[in-house]
Amino acid sequence: MGSVVEGKGLTKHFGEGDARVVAVDHVDIAIEESELVMFMGDSGCGKTTLISLLGCILTPSEGDVWIDGEQIDYANHDLSQLRSEKIGFVFQLFNLIPYLTAIENVMVAMDIAGLRHDEAEKRAAELLTQVGLDQRLHHRPAQLSGGEKQRVSFARALANHPKIIFADEPTANLDSRQGMNLMNLVRELRHEHRTTIAIVTHHEGLKKDADRVIQMKDGQIVSV
Amino acid sequence: MNGMRIQAQQYPKFTGANIWISAEGSGSAFIGFSLLVPEHLPYLDHALPLKPKSASPLVFAQARPVIRGKLGKAIVVGYKSGKLGGPTQFELTEGRLFTASEYEEWAEADIPLREVVVDEKMDLEIGERILIGNKDLKVVGKAKSLMFVLDTPLLFMDLRTAQEVLLKNSLHVNMVIAQTAKGFTPERAAKELEAFDAEFKTIDVRTLEQTLGDIIDTYVDEPMKAVQFLRVMLWLAAGLIVGMITYVTTLEKTQEIGVLKAIGASNFYVAALISKQVILMSVIGVICGLILSYIFAVAAPIFVSIHPIESGIVVLISFVVCCAGGYLAGRKAIAVDPMVAFRGEM
Repeated sequence: MGSVVEGKGLTKHFGEGDARVVAVDHVDIAIEESELVMFMGDSGCGKTTLISLLGCILTPSEGDVWIDGEQIDYANHDLSQLRSEKIGFVFQLFNLIPYLTAIENVMVAMDIAGLRHDEAEKRAAELLTQVGLDQRLHHRPAQLSGGEKQRVSFARALANHPKIIFADEPTANLDSRQGMNLMNLVRELRHEHRTTIAIVTHHEGLKKDADRVIQMKDGQIVSV
Repeated sequence: MNGMRIQAQQYPKFTGANIWISAEGSGSAFIGFSLLVPEHLPYLDHALPLKPKSASPLVFAQARPVIRGKLGKAIVVGYKSGKLGGPTQFELTEGRLFTASEYEEWAEADIPLREVVVDEKMDLEIGERILIGNKDLKVVGKAKSLMFVLDTPLLFMDLRTAQEVLLKNSLHVNMVIAQTAKGFTPERAAKELEAFDAEFKTIDVRTLEQTLGDIIDTYVDEPMKAVQFLRVMLWLAAGLIVGMITYVTTLEKTQEIGVLKAIGASNFYVAALISKQVILMSVIGVICGLILSYIFAVAAPIFVSIHPIESGIVVLISFVVCCAGGYLAGRKAIAVDPMVAFRGEM
């Protein structure tokens, strides 16, 4: 198995001079295909910054990133296209577009990738059915529970057959039962789609589902 | 303002006269103080450039009639029955024309019948009485509406009656209108009439076109300069408000744009999305604006006419300002950091 995502010497600092903060400090990491990796650590230890670097949302101050074997050239690469085609994101606060229905929220990702409307609609309906929301296709986010919203987020992340999904604290805003249901879904999706998943979490209880747990402290990986 | 222009031209066009004569130095029949002496009439009746006997003496003056105890505004039009300047029997909607006086045979002791034909929009009844300069006039007929600027109604009466109520029985008139004789253009007729009078310089002759221009300059364009300025300011203010709304609406979507960018939306996609929203908003706004302007025009207290070209300009300005607001917002939007997707809730 090859690495889906790899980072070498990744460093990210914000600000300059006395205000300079090093969020990620010379991190080397590789995530293998179909792996479920969990990033754990205290708040502010650099977990979200690291997945933002690996997900090509942030540009590293130092170091390099490889996605699907291809080194990212930040000056010349179309990062938005790369994110659209190869990376899925799930956010802690769901971040669904409030005035769109569940199916439309999933279709947005496919619209960005340039998929035809009818194909996008069909695939979005299939994905929402897979995540157990076949009865909620035309509900708006305000009409969905937290767990349902996060399922829509996962469906949106899966929309364009990504190589990897980065999920930032996906269970943080869910109660324990909803959190457990979501992790069951993650297992099912991983089994079905063979998608690589990297999850940032505080929940110690989720460790048991991970292939690998990466512990971070002060911007560095302290244990794997 | 278009409504005022239309109203300003209604009466002069209605008379059928294409030559307007006022006292020399008055500027024009409708502009300055013009009093013509009766001696002019026999001469004008036989002037070669004018259609024989077409010259019609006219009193056209603003008055403050008291109608049902209330002070109103009106334009008194005194003319000789059967001559140019007033409604014929055909233009009456109700009642009859006033009784004509014997103008030529008039003596100072004679008192003309005080009868008036009113504009149908004045809502007066036949037989009702109105006061002009403490003189009591009886409504005998109603004419098709021919409002002057700012919805000022016209009151038609015999020339003698107008002279009695407005000019203290003086035989003067403030204009003479006429039609050109065959083979004379209004311009040529005006030129030749002034040439006949070159020695005495007592009359000022204008064509219908010149008269209409004078009226619009004096009654519409000049007083409306401040309104024009205000109108431009309103356009700009409205445009800026629309532009600001577009801009602020887009800024409120920062989180949404951040999420779209995080999941792969390109700058082009975001800019196109904002543009679509701006164009949709502009089109809806423009359609609503046009519909409302037509509704308000009907409900306005004065006659309002919406000019298609001016409407087009307003539409264009609104659209350009909206797009400018959208462009600024779009620039702001494409600069949004996709990291905001990790930070907040929509």
